[in-house]
Amino acid sequence: MNWLDKLTENVSRNVAKTSSRRGFLGGLGAMIAGGSLIPLLPVARADAMKQPEPPTADPGDPATCDYWRNCAIDGYLCSCCGGSVNSCPPGTEMSAITWIGTCKNPGDGKDYIISYNDCCGKAPCGSCFCNRNEGDRPTYRPHTSNDYNWCIGTKSQAYHCTVNIILGVAIK
Amino acid sequence: MFRQLLRLVLLSGITLAASAELARDELGKVETLPLPYPNDWVIVHDVAFDHMSLGKFIVMDINGKKISEFFKGSFDGGNLAAFAQASKKPEMYVLEHYYDRGARGNRTDLVTIYDKATLMPVDEIVLTGPKRAEMLVSKFIISLIDDEKFLLLYNFTPATFVTVIDLVKREVVNEVQLPTCAGIYPTGKRGFSSICSNASMISFQLDKNGKVAKQSKIDPFFDIEKDALFERPAIIDGVGYFPSFAGNVQEINLQGDAAEPGEKWSLLGTEDKSKNWRPGGAWLAATDSAKRLYVMMHENGGEGSHDNPGSEIWVFDTGRKARVNRIPLTLPAIAFDITAGDSPKIVATNVEMNLEVYDAASGEHVNTIKDFYHSWPLLVYASP
Repeated sequence: MNWLDKLTENVSRNVAKTSSRRGFLGGLGAMIAGGSLIPLLPVARADAMKQPEPPTADPGDPATCDYWRNCAIDGYLCSCCGGSVNSCPPGTEMSAITWIGTCKNPGDGKDYIISYNDCCGKAPCGSCFCNRNEGDRPTYRPHTSNDYNWCIGTKSQAYHCTVNIILGVAIK
Repeated sequence: MFRQLLRLVLLSGITLAASAELARDELGKVETLPLPYPNDWVIVHDVAFDHMSLGKFIVMDINGKKISEFFKGSFDGGNLAAFAQASKKPEMYVLEHYYDRGARGNRTDLVTIYDKATLMPVDEIVLTGPKRAEMLVSKFIISLIDDEKFLLLYNFTPATFVTVIDLVKREVVNEVQLPTCAGIYPTGKRGFSSICSNASMISFQLDKNGKVAKQSKIDPFFDIEKDALFERPAIIDGVGYFPSFAGNVQEINLQGDAAEPGEKWSLLGTEDKSKNWRPGGAWLAATDSAKRLYVMMHENGGEGSHDNPGSEIWVFDTGRKARVNRIPLTLPAIAFDITAGDSPKIVATNVEMNLEVYDAASGEHVNTIKDFYHSWPLLVYASP
């Protein structure tokens, strides 16, 4: 199936999931506005947030675009490239600088903050392209923009694929 | 027996040679392209997302029916390159980078300058890097200003700043720091503006050496959560028309020293709102020689639909702020541009990654261009 057909299918399916996430993003937007024009460096968020208990259920196949954690992804799914939902394929390097999304886990009904870390240092994987844009915003707000190549700070900036790592449960 | 066969073969050859009338071909002949390019020629950026180091730009005659007619030549653009073309001289600028071992090794960032007639690289400006913003949607991250004397490049490390290149000297002359802003929208005599992460804008005017002579900021003027502005406007007579996620268009005057937000008006009528029509696509706005605004639209939109393919292109009279036409597309499209001149054509990349050509005035579909060894011909650039 063409990736854009897939995209259209996914968007219509996911429109209904957005209301609870907006609360979190609204708060985040206010925080940014309060910070005025101070540069925002979305670095190594994995260390900055308390890790929640593992979800009681993590339904779906991470190698498909429909998988819930993919709600704001734009790239190749590492699960199709020798990696997994949260690990990079062999021989690549995970970028610590990322954009984030907030996705609802249908397994427990909770909204999770997802860090989309790019895996870098090899030519593009080329399999399982997925583009979903819930909460994605234009490039002038980088930390929620999936349009950039986020292979930043890695030895090579060549983009290979993207993982989706749970950072925590979104606070409403 | 062998001798008889040999004689037969030789005689056949002689017979063929005697009847052949083709002249001997000239060796070493290489085509060149006419200048300026005809209005119906466009440049298509194949971003080659699955093999980025081999990205390229293709010069196309959109009237061609077969590949020998529409394919005029190509030039390289490595690793999600960005592209600008001059209108006053036959030069094109490709911001790109390469690794000396494919996807690893030493990286060289550069602006390669191509001649439009020969498609040969005639110069290059090597940059210190890695700095440049790499992204699929790459218009307005490289911009010409000051009568095409300066070339500006948007950087993302993730700090945000703009590199200023003096094209006469062929060298970098400045870097302008941005307070987390993006985009390079030419502004005033010798300046640019960017949209910032708190929904404000910042503007700069440069002096003749490329240094900052004046800086201006305006307060936040839109809501990124509820109705973000696309960073992908159409510029008409120095006014940027920025579509928004929810179906409005924000005018931003870029004629003076600093950006000035103007009127915000809706692209949608009552019935359109009830069907949730929204702007969307990788490149969704353009203009024509009559200065009309074209916006690609999709139905049943909502949160997250802003990159959706468009099923129609709507045409607006910006003076009356009224829709004057809606053009249904034969296949949904993800990006488009409009050719210059009195008979403008819409050139759209459809969801099958082929190109469709429409008459902009009538909306009639006039051509499909496909099968030219391409993978992601994402953005279309009309001749200036």
